[in-house]
Formats: sequence, structure tokens, C-alpha cells
Amino acid sequence: MIHKIELACIIDDDSLYVNLVKKIIETKQLCENLMIFKNGQDALTYFEAILGSLDQHKVPEIIFLDLNMPVMDGWEFLDNFTKIKNKFKKTITLYIVSSSINTVDIEKAKGINSVKDYLIKPVTIKDLEVIFSQQTS
Amino acid sequence: MLENDLFNNVIQDFDTGYWELRTNPDREIWSAKFYETLGYKKEELQSTIDTFFETLLHPEDLELFRDNFLNYRQNSINFKQHIKIFDQTGNYKLFRCSTIDNLPVNIKSSTKILFFFEIKLESSNEMIKDNFYYRETAQMTQTGSWYVDFHEKKSYWDFETRRILEYPDDYVPSLKDSALYYSEDCQQQAADCFFNCAMAGVPFDTQIKMKTANKRIFWVRAIGKPVYNEKKEIIGIRGVFQDIDDNKRKELRLKKSMDIITSQNSRLFNFAHIVSHNLRSHTSNLSMILEFMDDIDNPEEKLDFLLQIGQISKSLNMTIEHLNDIVAINTNKHQEKKEVKFKDTLKLVTHGIGQMISLSKTEINTDFTAFDTIEYIPAYLESILLNLITNAIKYKHEERDPVINIKTYIEENKKYLYIKDNGMGIDMKLFKDKIFGMYKTFHFNEDAVGIGLFLTKNQVESLDGKITVESKVDVGTTFIIEF
Repeated sequence: MIHKIELACIIDDDSLYVNLVKKIIETKQLCENLMIFKNGQDALTYFEAILGSLDQHKVPEIIFLDLNMPVMDGWEFLDNFTKIKNKFKKTITLYIVSSSINTVDIEKAKGINSVKDYLIKPVTIKDLEVIFSQQTS
Repeated sequence: MLENDLFNNVIQDFDTGYWELRTNPDREIWSAKFYETLGYKKEELQSTIDTFFETLLHPEDLELFRDNFLNYRQNSINFKQHIKIFDQTGNYKLFRCSTIDNLPVNIKSSTKILFFFEIKLESSNEMIKDNFYYRETAQMTQTGSWYVDFHEKKSYWDFETRRILEYPDDYVPSLKDSALYYSEDCQQQAADCFFNCAMAGVPFDTQIKMKTANKRIFWVRAIGKPVYNEKKEIIGIRGVFQDIDDNKRKELRLKKSMDIITSQNSRLFNFAHIVSHNLRSHTSNLSMILEFMDDIDNPEEKLDFLLQIGQISKSLNMTIEHLNDIVAINTNKHQEKKEVKFKDTLKLVTHGIGQMISLSKTEINTDFTAFDTIEYIPAYLESILLNLITNAIKYKHEERDPVINIKTYIEENKKYLYIKDNGMGIDMKLFKDKIFGMYKTFHFNEDAVGIGLFLTKNQVESLDGKITVESKVDVGTTFIIEF
């Protein structure tokens, strides 16, 4: 019996991209629930709020994080998220998903501990399938 | 005996008489050259200290020389002294007497040695020749000498100093008004150099702007060093002025074009990133949709995707329009600059957004007394003012009506314009580096696009200006433009 991911999280301000990924995930039934935030600030507020909660169902197993966002960008979110990450009793795998092909960005991201990988947009259906299946195995 | 051959060779090349000090004062060694210079034969002059002091040395020099000599002999304190020595013909000859340490070559010897360099007075013929060379050198290198005498309270200039400063040959320089020989913005620098040199004996070698008799400003390399009297007091400053105007101006021009190229390069680099990133975000969406369309069979869903493609095309267009705007700035900068009155441009702007201003009850105060016109591309000034004013209104503070102060001022010969509001402010700690970036928004307004300030910065910089921002949350924001 394959264990399916319960909750994944997308932090991205590009609504078109978000809708597409959402549709792919739904169609391919890659996970049960999906959470979407428009920028780093909204996401951080959520994570800080559920810190005290014991309900592990509210904690996503995977995060897809964009870099260029208004209000709070991906870097700043990462800074803050890294500080609280270990307080969750669950492993959270974080991917950066950006259209930036700037090597400075890529190197910087790979140097951050909590970042599992850097994905360059466009993300293919295959990419998503691999990521979700890795997570469950 | 002397320590090595090298030393012997040097002594020979020197062609100078010397005195090798011995521990036994009756067995001093005077070199053959020493005897020869004075015209004595070795056998008629006993080489003892007493002979030197009593027979050879001029009585005037005795006291000081004895001190020096004994100090050197017993305590190895090196010295240099001019002395007169009685020669075989009955006259005194002038010598520069020097210990080994004061030689121009670096040789070591375990024995103590005194050297006697004969000082020949130059014949007047040689003086004239030297003077000729000096004048040639001064003229060819455009280097004038000068001397400031503290006791006489006078300055002396040579002919070349007068020439490069464009004063007549009979001009007498004034010590009292010496500041006037420098350009206004360099007078402090000159005063510091001379003061430090006169008070602390610090020599200087600096580049400075001077002013000629004809009020022409030009670049000079000024070198000066203190002059001491026997009591080691500073009694004057001696130095040179070298006209380096041509080179300095070339250097400054080069530096300026370097700055321009560097800033253009960084803007181009930035622009390339923006283009790449902004276009990529659309094309990647497009390719995702197409991939997904292939993957599904339901025709209705496919239709839905087609609609989305329309949406992407629309945003792609918008992005390209924005990029066009930026490119236009850099190509338009050759547009004709005109004398623009701030008042007129502001009127144009406030007229266009009259409704926005009256609805928000915005108060705009202006002060253009420092300067009221600027040579600028009119459309840019309009766009800059429009952007900054609408920003101030859009991001006004919730609890008060917007007040915008616009003022021109001059600081250190540079012209500035500031636009200050009492709005919600921007958190500088978080957004300092991002304020002028493209598609960066800092407020939670839905309609923030993040293109305005980016354009403004590009417009200002394309005309070689600068824009900076100061802001405090809940207090307000000030944009400062340096023209």
C-alpha cells in the first residue's frame, strides 16, 4: 500500500502557475491536500501560528517556494523558516521553484541546509511525480 | 687591516683621503691620498691625534671637531662636519669630514674610519652651465621652485613658478594672501599641508588646484619639505610646483567615462536579468500548459487551457511593454534637454491627477527658491514627479491626509530635489535594496505593480543623476534626486 502525501504547500505569487500545478497534482492525485500562499509573509504567519499546535495534519510534508515575490520574498521566508523548522515534529522537505536561472541564486539556494533542491521553472509533470514518489518511498 | 677587497675597491674609487682609527693613538693610519691632497710627504708628518689637532686643524674647527671625534672614537657616534686643514703651501683647504656611516655606499668595516672629501669651490663657468641646465629642466618639466622664509616672513618664487602661475617676472609673491594662489575648494587642503609642514615638519606631496594671475584654475603637483636651522628649528619650507593640468584632466575624464561605463554596464546586466526572468516566468507557464494539455484527453479541459494561454499572452504583452519603456529611456536620453521650470512641470502633473489629489485631500507644498529651473528632458521630469507624487498618495498613512513637500536645494555645488511625504513609510531594514527593483512591491495594496520606481531610477540615471530614499515606517518617505 502506497502512502500518499497528506499535505503539500506552494508559496508563489504567480496565480497562473499555481493553478496549473494544482491541477496537475489533482489530476495525477499526487497528494491529498494542497495549501497555497501568495507570498512569504502569509506562509510564515501560518507556520508560526501552527507551531504550538499538536495537530500534525496541519504541517505540510513538502513546500514549493518561489523566490521573487512581493511583500516577503523567498529568501527572507527561508531565513525565518530555518529558525523554526526544527520545532515541528515532522520532516518538511523544501524545494525552491523559480524562473531565475541566475547562478548566484542557484548556488546560494543550494548552500542553505533546509533546501532540498532548486527547480527551474517550467516544472514538468514528470518532475512533480518523481518528487512526490520520492517523498513517499 | 681593512676587512675585504670590496671595501678596498670602494675606497680606491672614492679617491678620497681617509683616517683609519687605531687603538694606539700614536699609530694612526692616514692614507696616501690624505697626504697627497695636503701636499705633505709621509715622513714629514707624524700620524698622531695630537699632530692633527695642533698642526693641521684650523683652530676655529677644533672645539666641535674634538667633541665629534672623541664621541665617535669612544661611543661610535657618527658625524659629519666641515673642517679646514692646513696644507703644505700654508693655506687652509676646506673638507667635508665624514664617518663611515655617512657614506653613500653601504659597506661594513670593523674599524673606524674618517673620510676627508675636499670641497672645491666651483668656478663661475660651471655655475653658469649648471644654471642653464636647471632652467632647461624647470621649463621642460614645468616645475617651479619656491621657498617660504618664516623669519623674514617672505615667499620666494623662481622664474618657472611665476611662469606657470602666469605672474610677471618682477612679481613679488605675498605670504599673507597665499591662500589666493589656490582654487577656493583647495584652500583648506593647502593650509593643512603648509601648517603640518611648518608645525610638525611633515613633508607633503599632493595634487591640488591652483589659480593663476588670470584666474585660470589648473592642477598642480605640490611638493614641500621643512627647512631646518642648526638648532633643528623649522625656519622655512622649500618645495616645487609642477604643472600637471593636462595629465590630471585626462585622468579625470578617464575616470568619469569609467564611472559612466560601469554604471551603464551594471544597468545592462540588471536589465538582462530582468528580461530573462520576466519573460521566462511567462514562457515557463506556457510550456507547462502545453505539456499538461498533451497529457489530458477531456476536450472541455483543453478549452479551459486555451483560455489560460490567452491570459499568458496578455501578461507577456504587458511585460514586453514595460521592458520597452525601459529601453525607451536609454534611447530617449538623447532627446533634447530643455530648460524646465519645476513649477510648470508640477502644474502639468497635478492637473493630470487633479481628481486623485482632491479626493485624497492631498496638500502639496513647494519651495523652488534655491533654483527653479533645470536643464532636463521635460517628459522625464514629468514622469518622475508623477510617479513620486502618486506613490505618496497611494501609500498615504491611514490616520492622516497626505502632505507632500517638494523642495530644491544646493549642496557642495550639486543640485538636489527632494520629495517628502507623511505616508506609511517603507521598512528600510527589509526593503532597502529592493525599493528601486522591478516588480518589487512593499505594501499590501493589490494594485501595486512595482514598475514606477524602477522607471524613475532609470530615468534619473540615464541623465547621469542619482536617486536615493530615506524612510521610516509610520513617519513618511523622502526621495532625493541629485541632478
